[in-house]
Amino acid sequence: MITRELIEQIEGEASVSFEMKRDKVNFATIAFPHFRGMERILQGKSALDALVITPRVCGICGHAHLMASVRALESAYAHAGHAICLSHKAQTIREFTLVMEMIQNHFKWFYLTLIPELIKLRRTSKNSTPLKGAFAASLASKTLASFAGQWPHSSYMLPGGVTCDPTHMERIKSQGYLKELIHFFETETLGTTLQNFLSFESCKEMNALQSDISYVEQALLASGMHQKGFAYDRFIVLGEHSFSTPSKMKQTRPFLVESKYVRVKESYSPQEQTYAKNALYKNDYYETGPLARAMTAHVPIIRNIHRRFKDSAYSRVMARIVELASLLQHATELLKVVDPTETSLVAPEPIHTITAEGIGIVEAPRGVLMHKVSIVSGVIHRYEIITPTQWNIGSDTKIDPTPVQQAMIDVTKEEALFIFRTFDVCSVCTTH
Amino acid sequence: MAQTIKKRRRDEIIAVALKLFSEKGFYVTTIPDIAERVGMSVGNFYNYFTSKDVLAKKLVIYISEYLGEQIRNINDSDATTEEKIYAIVSMYFDMANERPEMIEYFLRVYLSNREVFAEGCEGMICVSSFVTEMMIFFDNGVSCGELYNQEFFSAFGLFMGYLGGMVFLFGEKVLPEPLENYKVSISQNIYNALKNRQ
Amino acid sequence: MHLKTDSKPTLLWLQGVTCNGNTHSFLNLSSLVDLLASYELLYHPSLPSLQTFENVSTCKFKCDIVVFEGTFDPLLQLNNISVHRILKHYVQSAKYVIAAGSCASFGGMFKASAPERNSGLIFNEMLQEGPLLYCKEKVINLSGCPIHPEWLGYTLSMILEGEEIILDSYHRPVELYSYLAHHGCTRNEYFEWKIDSKMFGEKEGCLYYEQGCRAPMTHASCNKILWNEISSKTRSGMPCFGCTEPDFPRADFFTTKTNMSIPEDVPLGVSKRSYLTVAGIAKTFHIKRLEGKLIDYKRTD
Repeated sequence: MITRELIEQIEGEASVSFEMKRDKVNFATIAFPHFRGMERILQGKSALDALVITPRVCGICGHAHLMASVRALESAYAHAGHAICLSHKAQTIREFTLVMEMIQNHFKWFYLTLIPELIKLRRTSKNSTPLKGAFAASLASKTLASFAGQWPHSSYMLPGGVTCDPTHMERIKSQGYLKELIHFFETETLGTTLQNFLSFESCKEMNALQSDISYVEQALLASGMHQKGFAYDRFIVLGEHSFSTPSKMKQTRPFLVESKYVRVKESYSPQEQTYAKNALYKNDYYETGPLARAMTAHVPIIRNIHRRFKDSAYSRVMARIVELASLLQHATELLKVVDPTETSLVAPEPIHTITAEGIGIVEAPRGVLMHKVSIVSGVIHRYEIITPTQWNIGSDTKIDPTPVQQAMIDVTKEEALFIFRTFDVCSVCTTH
Repeated sequence: MAQTIKKRRRDEIIAVALKLFSEKGFYVTTIPDIAERVGMSVGNFYNYFTSKDVLAKKLVIYISEYLGEQIRNINDSDATTEEKIYAIVSMYFDMANERPEMIEYFLRVYLSNREVFAEGCEGMICVSSFVTEMMIFFDNGVSCGELYNQEFFSAFGLFMGYLGGMVFLFGEKVLPEPLENYKVSISQNIYNALKNRQ
Repeated sequence: MHLKTDSKPTLLWLQGVTCNGNTHSFLNLSSLVDLLASYELLYHPSLPSLQTFENVSTCKFKCDIVVFEGTFDPLLQLNNISVHRILKHYVQSAKYVIAAGSCASFGGMFKASAPERNSGLIFNEMLQEGPLLYCKEKVINLSGCPIHPEWLGYTLSMILEGEEIILDSYHRPVELYSYLAHHGCTRNEYFEWKIDSKMFGEKEGCLYYEQGCRAPMTHASCNKILWNEISSKTRSGMPCFGCTEPDFPRADFFTTKTNMSIPEDVPLGVSKRSYLTVAGIAKTFHIKRLEGKLIDYKRTD
């Protein structure tokens, strides 16, 4: 028998059709029903307009789209024989604002999705505190907006750099908000100092904490999530950043990756119309996102967790929380080295002189985000967007299930719905 | 009443000064020359203009405002851009015929003695009424699709340089035919040079 | 219109074709906790709510205020139910309908998803032909891509207090949309003296002449109240894209449309002749202080 579940509050909706066998999920397909046609909207527009339009793919990770877009344009410039070299300042500010958006995202996911869903799964009466997430996220976006002008829908990058021209004043203001955010994270989320938490090498060290994170950790173990939600134990990271290590992994073995092997194929969704496409590397599905990033970057505590619990739902959740901590630390370091006396932007050749193809890859909050553009005399001929949720939450046949389909097999429906959300799903990005 | 008399006297000074400056030249013409021709004392002249330089600047503004007003009427009409070009050329050539001192002053005094206009007439300040109307003319021409969109001075130079050149040749008595006879061909040349070719 | 104060008004947040940007912008509201304490959330796309969307979509409830985010697409199905049906049902009981963002106000970015049928709630760009035309007196448009959280905070607070919200001809509150994005721009002095920004990436110069800035033609209080309480597009070196106006999104965001170097659009309410006269004169002065860098980091004395 097939039962359909509407999944809400995932930046839009999706539906999952479960095929049950003795109260356990035998198979599930996923449909994302809302189409917007961003790629078509971009066709025929001036290539620079992509920097205004693509952030509007998504309300929660628009900045990642902005950065993928500017990287795609810069790659087109390079292919046209005009390689672009960013100042250290421009590079640092871009990384900083990207990282702050991830932090914003992870806080929201932690307080607005994870804790309420865990409470539901555990059927306990604990009160969730979702507005903590909104508060922390608003601080993160304020920190980001000091440079990017605003969030959501930041547009402050152009080929050649960033448009902001901050003084130390903006840097110091931003630093102040970041410190406030770290203080919140330490007192509310962690129950210990950031430094202490980052020195943990085993999840057992969390046992001593009394905080939101300790609740999450214990609730995950109590729900058996360390023994459920396994995908393929294959990971992919493609975005090059100061905090990432591009690679693909099978269990713990790393392999070289080349973006040219990324491809998409039609979803399999016999129950309901879907507009999503699945993303693959050659012919294989990979998990992308914080767990993948932690695995390829050899983050000790996550490698340790993975040794015990593989790519379980527990590992996936913990990786996102640990990433939140390490990104807060990383953002602090980045901010220190922003030098206002350096150039913000070196203007390249006018865009109308460019006829070339470009590819922009970034690590977005949920994983690999790819923009591909084909430009003819400065005008967009073709634009293609491949988002992280297309990697993690594809929908394929029983013979070749996607990571989320694999992860939902053989658990109860309630567990499957929780596991689904451990991937941090973005509906609007998926159907862009 | 006193105001209208004063304005009329002022206009008389302007008319006389224009004539004298363009006939005799700016430096040779003196304030007593102008006062005498107007029929007023030198002392009284200074009630109107405090120096020859001040008068010189006022004359440029006067001409610019006169031209601006003429072109504004053309801009505000329902004519096509091609018709407007003819109207501007026609107005300009008529002026060269009927009030040659105005164009002469502009070409021979304003453009040739920039040192006189160094202070207070920098850039386009004294000719802003005229230039503004030319801008409006070009802006309308492009927005209705009749003119090719290009940098302002490329178009402005082509238009006004051409007319100035023809008036200069006319003044030098080089032209075999009266200015009147060139209105059509010159308007067409300007239109052909500036029109939208898409 | 006045909402009864003995019980909390019920608020329902619905979505058409959207990116969720208004939802996330709203979460940045500084007074979010207090404001939400004064409302019952029937459903919101990311906050804990009384009902699931699945329940809400069956049109079994009533609400006092509908916030609608996203372009209205008459063919859009949410949980296999027509968005038109859901919207119509809840609008019936609602005293106010708030169009959150430019998509819901005018069609906005996602009008282009299906240009022949998509629109805002009252307006299809500038024309009044949206689905809620029949009850347009209920509708408050808060255009912007995204909405500024304080605009929604203001509107919801005014409703709570029973204050009258005066609207402009596009149904936008005059207290929010009488300002231009130009008001409060830190580049104003460069605008006054017609000094354009030579290139992107500098705090000096005005972005109106070359770089496509729409701030003098755009109704929004962005540069008065600032984004995220700290900055704005123009303060971060970006032109204003005119995202609160019915013609958003325009094309060529980074280039000022000019006719023979003359800006096609001049500041609102100013005649082109007046603008060109003043601009021509202002341009002739060379003001040294405004021509160089604002801050000289190399100075040693």
